[in-house]
Amino acid sequence: MSTYDATGDTARRPLSGRRVHTGDLILKGVAGAAALGAVVLVGLIAYKVIEGSRLSISTFGLGFLTSTTWDPVHNQFGAADLIYGTIVTSIGALILATPLALGVALFLTELAPGWIRGPVTALVETLAAIPSVVIGLWGVLVLGPVLRDDVMPQLHSALGFIPIFGPSTTGSTIFTAIVVLTIMILPIISSISRELFTGVPSELKEAALGLGVTRWEMVRGVIFPYARGGVAAAMILGLGRALGEAIAVALVIGSVNGPIHANFFGPANTLAAWIATEFGTAAGLEQSSLFYCALILLVFSLLVNVLAQFIVRHVAKKQGLPAR
Amino acid sequence: MPRNGKLVRITTGVLAVAAVTALAVVMTGTASAKSSATTLTGAGSSLVAPAVSGVWGPAYSSAKGVNVNYSSIGSGKGIIAITNRTVDFGASDAPLNKAQAAACKGCVQVPWALAGTGPVENIPGVNGLQLKLTGAVLAKIYLGQITNWDDPAIKALNKGLNLPNKTITVVHRSDGSGDTYVFTDYLSKISKTWATKVGKATTVSWPTGVGGNGNAGVSALVRSTPGSIGYVSTFYVVQNHLHMVKMLNRAGHYVYPSVKSIESAAQALKKVPSSTAGISITDPAKTQKFANAWVMATFTYIIVPANSAKGADLRSFINWALAPAQQQSIQKLIFAPLPKLVANAAKQRVKQIQ
Repeated sequence: MSTYDATGDTARRPLSGRRVHTGDLILKGVAGAAALGAVVLVGLIAYKVIEGSRLSISTFGLGFLTSTTWDPVHNQFGAADLIYGTIVTSIGALILATPLALGVALFLTELAPGWIRGPVTALVETLAAIPSVVIGLWGVLVLGPVLRDDVMPQLHSALGFIPIFGPSTTGSTIFTAIVVLTIMILPIISSISRELFTGVPSELKEAALGLGVTRWEMVRGVIFPYARGGVAAAMILGLGRALGEAIAVALVIGSVNGPIHANFFGPANTLAAWIATEFGTAAGLEQSSLFYCALILLVFSLLVNVLAQFIVRHVAKKQGLPAR
Repeated sequence: MPRNGKLVRITTGVLAVAAVTALAVVMTGTASAKSSATTLTGAGSSLVAPAVSGVWGPAYSSAKGVNVNYSSIGSGKGIIAITNRTVDFGASDAPLNKAQAAACKGCVQVPWALAGTGPVENIPGVNGLQLKLTGAVLAKIYLGQITNWDDPAIKALNKGLNLPNKTITVVHRSDGSGDTYVFTDYLSKISKTWATKVGKATTVSWPTGVGGNGNAGVSALVRSTPGSIGYVSTFYVVQNHLHMVKMLNRAGHYVYPSVKSIESAAQALKKVPSSTAGISITDPAKTQKFANAWVMATFTYIIVPANSAKGADLRSFINWALAPAQQQSIQKLIFAPLPKLVANAAKQRVKQIQ
């Protein structure tokens, strides 16, 4: 995110009044080339994705975004259900993960006794290091059957009048994908939040406690407002991860394309998961349609990034703090 | 300044290493280009991959000194690779369709291995090889028209079997695969509705069910879901002791997939088209002699250009693979040997390669 600023500053301003050293020149060259390389790479990827999807765009146009058919036999393709699945699983995971992550972060910064912080922090961060394919396999073999037998039927019988808690047959469902994604983005949000909470000046916290507020009021009145922008950015980062996760989701979501349904306890599909699943054997118009899916995903990521930048700047300005 | 001097030294070092690496890459590049005359590269079907890269490749290399490099990238990709001539041969479980054959510009398609796929179930209280189905009922299950295991249509085929009142969970492959091609090819022959509504391909638009990634994904789903039915490669069925389903063939027998029954399906063929067309042996014709023929057997094909610089090398490799010894050597992977009729037709096709 900050690559542009860094290169712009160092590359443009000559060090006036100083002798130019070879080392400086080389540093400038190497760093500049690296930065330029990153920019060119993004450009090339975008170009390749757009070029690859051209056939599908010219065939289906915007109808691709509203059709739910994926039929290689009759060469009909659409991604509405994939877009829906992507958004529902990502937002669902964000809704579940955020309160959990904030709880973890608060516990580790404010509540936990010192000897517990180190190990718990390390373990939570290890969660982020588990390869997604491992989480996916665990999701299929362990989590899915447990959710199917012990969670979904209970939710269905208690809250079945809400369409999202429908009947379940397998452990491969939207809900399983949401839980798996929650586990994957939890450490991202919690570790950033923990850093932010640690960064709250202790004078502020002590002043609040000195006024006689309870610990919860201090958290609500001092820590949360102070860290608000950063937490929002952490959530967006988690959202970005959830949107693009392919392998773990492909393993647990049931990979079913077709009419959009509200039932979270049924199978569905997401853009990233379907690209990962189908790209190996797709050819011709189908391959181009997968590129079209990739293009949609790229636009999503771009929007998410822009949103994150906007939130960070906006909140920073409001609080009179330098943007990070 | 000392720091700058150090930086220069480091940079020079890095550049030197880079130059050496580049030189090494160039040299190995030249070296491999020189030896490429005795290397055949192929790509495609993952079904035939264990046979080609696991058994035939090493054996051919030690017997004839010709290396065979095979990439398991999927049948569809294999067809594209040979169409673009980026490999010496392609491999596909689904025969070339008309458009693909035209695009491939005079490609020769040779059946070189024989395998199968088969349905598996997980019904509480039902063991392997107990459940019997007909193609028509299987099609209705996969169309979503029969949705419960105690449906009269299933009960009528399984008198004496205690079928539970349980919803059927249909499981299929989510990734494109030769297994799906064979399975849908069979259902297309059995059911008109299936043929028009769904059709046959390596990936289809499934009317119902849930997808599993690869044979492993399908079998994991079937095993963990009571009341489910799926289909996997016969190699996988046998290896993982899944509950096989017996299917009714045209000869009126309930059969299950094995090297023997797959071989019978191919032996039931009376003649093989001499052109380079595909040969479908799903739902084999009724014969007295091969009454136990399996219903979802398939040839898998090697696809080579009719004219290529390595024509002679390709010819001898394919003829070697078609020989009985090589066909026997892959039986442990549940490939059945090609029947004589097909092997002879295949050798005729090999002659078209220049």
